[in-house]
Amino acid sequence: MEQSGKDKRIGVFVCHCGLNVAQSVDVEKVVQEISSYPGVVHAEHYQYMCSEPGQELIRKAIKDHNLNAVINANCSPSLHEKTFRGLVQAEGLNPYHQEVANIREHCSWPHANDRQTATRKAIAIIKATIDRLKLNMALTPAVINLNKKVLVIGGGVAGMQAALRIANGGYEVVLVESSPSIGGHAAQLSGTFPTLDRPACLVAPMMAEVAAHPRIRLYAYADIEEVSGYVGNFAVKIRAKATCVDETKCTNCGRCFEVCPVAVPSEFDRGLSDRKAIYRPFAQAVPFRPVIDVLSCAHFSDDGCSACEQVCSENAISYDQKDTVIEEELGAIVVATGYDLITRGIAPEYSDDPDIIDGMQLERLLSPTGPTGGVVKRPSDGKVPKEVVFIQCVGSRDQEHGKSYCSRVCCLYVAKQSLLYKRSIPEGQAYVFYMDIRSDVKGTEEFVQNVVEKGRTMYLRGRVSKVFRDGDKLKVWGVDTLTGKSIEIAADMVVLATAMVPRTDAKDLARVLNIIADQNGFFTEAHLKLRPVDTLTSGIYLAGTAQWPKDIPDTIASASGAASRILSLFSREELLHDPAIAYVDEELCVGCGQCVSICAYKAITLDEKQKLASVNEAICEGCGACAATCPSKAMKHKNWTPKQFFNIVDVFTKEYE
Amino acid sequence: MPRNAMLEVKGGDITGTVRGFLEKLLEKKAVDALLVPVEVPSKKNVVQTMVTDIAQLADVSPLAPVMPVNTAKIISSVTKVAASTKKVGVILRSCELRALVEMVKLKQADMNNIVTIGIDCFGTYSVTDYAVFSQEHDTPAGEYLKKAASGTDTLLRPACKICQYPYPLTADMTIGLFGLPIEKEILVHSGTKEGDQVFEALGLDGEADPAKRDEALSALKSERQKLKEEFLAQVQQEAGGLDNMLSVLSACVACHNCRIACPICYCRECLLDSPTFVEWEAEKYLDWASRKGALRLPADSLLFHLVRMNHMGASCVACGLCEDACPNSIAVYKLFCLAGSRVQETFEYTPGRSADDELPLTAFKEEEFKGFEK
Repeated sequence: MEQSGKDKRIGVFVCHCGLNVAQSVDVEKVVQEISSYPGVVHAEHYQYMCSEPGQELIRKAIKDHNLNAVINANCSPSLHEKTFRGLVQAEGLNPYHQEVANIREHCSWPHANDRQTATRKAIAIIKATIDRLKLNMALTPAVINLNKKVLVIGGGVAGMQAALRIANGGYEVVLVESSPSIGGHAAQLSGTFPTLDRPACLVAPMMAEVAAHPRIRLYAYADIEEVSGYVGNFAVKIRAKATCVDETKCTNCGRCFEVCPVAVPSEFDRGLSDRKAIYRPFAQAVPFRPVIDVLSCAHFSDDGCSACEQVCSENAISYDQKDTVIEEELGAIVVATGYDLITRGIAPEYSDDPDIIDGMQLERLLSPTGPTGGVVKRPSDGKVPKEVVFIQCVGSRDQEHGKSYCSRVCCLYVAKQSLLYKRSIPEGQAYVFYMDIRSDVKGTEEFVQNVVEKGRTMYLRGRVSKVFRDGDKLKVWGVDTLTGKSIEIAADMVVLATAMVPRTDAKDLARVLNIIADQNGFFTEAHLKLRPVDTLTSGIYLAGTAQWPKDIPDTIASASGAASRILSLFSREELLHDPAIAYVDEELCVGCGQCVSICAYKAITLDEKQKLASVNEAICEGCGACAATCPSKAMKHKNWTPKQFFNIVDVFTKEYE
Repeated sequence: MPRNAMLEVKGGDITGTVRGFLEKLLEKKAVDALLVPVEVPSKKNVVQTMVTDIAQLADVSPLAPVMPVNTAKIISSVTKVAASTKKVGVILRSCELRALVEMVKLKQADMNNIVTIGIDCFGTYSVTDYAVFSQEHDTPAGEYLKKAASGTDTLLRPACKICQYPYPLTADMTIGLFGLPIEKEILVHSGTKEGDQVFEALGLDGEADPAKRDEALSALKSERQKLKEEFLAQVQQEAGGLDNMLSVLSACVACHNCRIACPICYCRECLLDSPTFVEWEAEKYLDWASRKGALRLPADSLLFHLVRMNHMGASCVACGLCEDACPNSIAVYKLFCLAGSRVQETFEYTPGRSADDELPLTAFKEEEFKGFEK
């Protein structure tokens, strides 16, 4: 399979990258030395090889010198490998007869102050790449079937936005939401910064559009049970939880809510009100239907209550309804599972008191649809709180007790909440303890200034050491680091701006989807800058706060990004997959299966009888872990064979003798 | 529940007692065949033999102190292509059993219908030493057991002297010798359902008390632990570092016998024999030679051992057969024992302890090597 590589006529194109490369690498010298290297028939340098004039140089050289292989010495292959492979292909070469020698990230940048070292290393890198390229095989992409249907997991703002963009682009969407209604946390909000739009103006229309969209199939109160397959060809099992209510009969009269004897804290009101065991989470819920929460319903406990069944004139209650498992086949997946707020337990200095609430609870108290009709009343006794203390960064930017990262939205929602609080209680006083104010979203710096100056919210730069009950009041001990004074406030209510964290089941979902979650549990993108909404698993994309704390504009932007990635993926009839991947030398494979357990993409299967591994070309991403693991080297990586590695090592050991 | 039975040793003939037990296994059809060590006609060696006819057990010698081939390798070649459809009882020393467990994890052996009969092992001699020893005594196995009991056996292979697991870890049945008055009685222990079935087939009651053996084992374990630490410290001094290692390996002629003897090496074609290593143009060799003015050939003899260490380190059961196989008496075992011990300590992995332990290099754990992170 491997040739000597002597048939290759190689051209080497060294890029200055402006001064990125050229200021530390002597490109003249590099070209001079490389020109005489065995196999090289042409070498030149240019200021920007990726520019049109630069590319024209390459095209011309290919023709003039009858090149059949090309080395581009420039930045990382993750930036321009595709560009140059496309170029040589257009000139009639096999794209896999082009390789990038990375002399920027691997060379000119780390040795920016040492021209001699950088130049020597650039030469070694290029020679090593040449000796590897000599053994490159010509490869042809694998063709993969493409099922143009999308699964969106999560029905919050991100999931709805992605689903609508994709559905409006002409493709079928299956939207799965685990709670009884779509809308997400945004539906709980009192208003949004900096414009103070009510969710009714933002989220409700999206929910209605999703519900009515002919190309969106909504499964609310449903979980993802199993995902298999790969880009273009996923198979998904969705478990639709039993609602115990026959939707075709239910008229939504609501009498069942009245008679249900069980009251449990409402998730939607974040425990500030009760809901029944049969309930609709909120008045604008989509789908608009009751569900029975079988975990709290008394029918399913010993007493066998059937109050709702008795009152239902339509006989819609169906206690023996079972979960149903729905199977869908799809081509791409958007993960938009959103966030939770960190549990209060992380902050021991704030005692457990009903009047110490978190930001989302205050949202409910400020909301016209909330338990107090939008008039802020404190939970313990319903008294209107005259002095409210906000504490920012609770669990955020606090590696010791919580999370090291910034939750990004708290500074702004606290400013908004203090403003809405003043509107609700004009005689009230709000205090905000902050570390610093992060207001980098369009219009928000002015917004915060306005809150400070006109809303007369008192901002105190410092941390709170303790909050404790003192009779009718909550004592807040803190320090104002700008004046250096310790501060004691007798507050009626304390609001903690707690950290945004991924949903607790995010890591389980990561396992099901075979995507990566970081140490905090947020899903990891393929590349922070260049592929911010892709995951490393082809065909799976990220939207919203499941990836990282985001505000609504960022969430909408990332969801639109994920949708656009899928729309461009679906613009083809079938998929082409990079062929520079692993393959099995069947003569050598003994079927030990070490490659199977090492493969992060689940691309390898083992035939236990034949004692033979095989690689699914559509799933393999060519990471090379299997090839490194295989002791026989029966598992090989195309164009990264052991001999090619030896060639590379050989060049470096020679150059650095 | 583990079951234990004592077998009475008549006339001090321990081998005869074990033979009687094995004969019963075939006679009562507890197994269809036995893979057991049988003395060759010259009596100079004892080799694993597949026996289906009771009469062929006449020269069985499972206690003779010689292990020409690690039996894990034999079971691998017998069951790799297709599992056995008939029950085969196999006598194994602990290092053979542990290697077999590793081979099962690597899918190179199939335990279906294999009934493992482990034996307590006082250690073995090299094949050459045994060939001499066996000619000097009428009943070499009996003579060896006498010496073993006194703890003064100088013929034992280095690997056996510091063996950490001279007792079987996962056998269906164990023939127990440690701590027992073996001139009078030996123990048969069942550790699994398979073993229990044999007990039933043979009508053994299983109520004997193994306390004496247990006591002896725990004393032996701490003694061996100490010996091994001393041994490793010495090897570290002798062979640690590249220069010392090159010196230890200087007699290597790249015959690769150590690899052939290794029970864990399982590749169809060794990477070190593959074109990647052996097929290069003369130009390359000349180029390599010109860099330092000289190139030792055959090339890659150091790399050969390093690659093997890398591949085998985690699963090395320290049987020492690599060293026995070396025509030039290179202390390969010492190198592998040291490297293997370090790798296994690092991963907190004991090869052969359980088929359920995952191979450390292919198991992903979110929390590991905290000490390595900065």
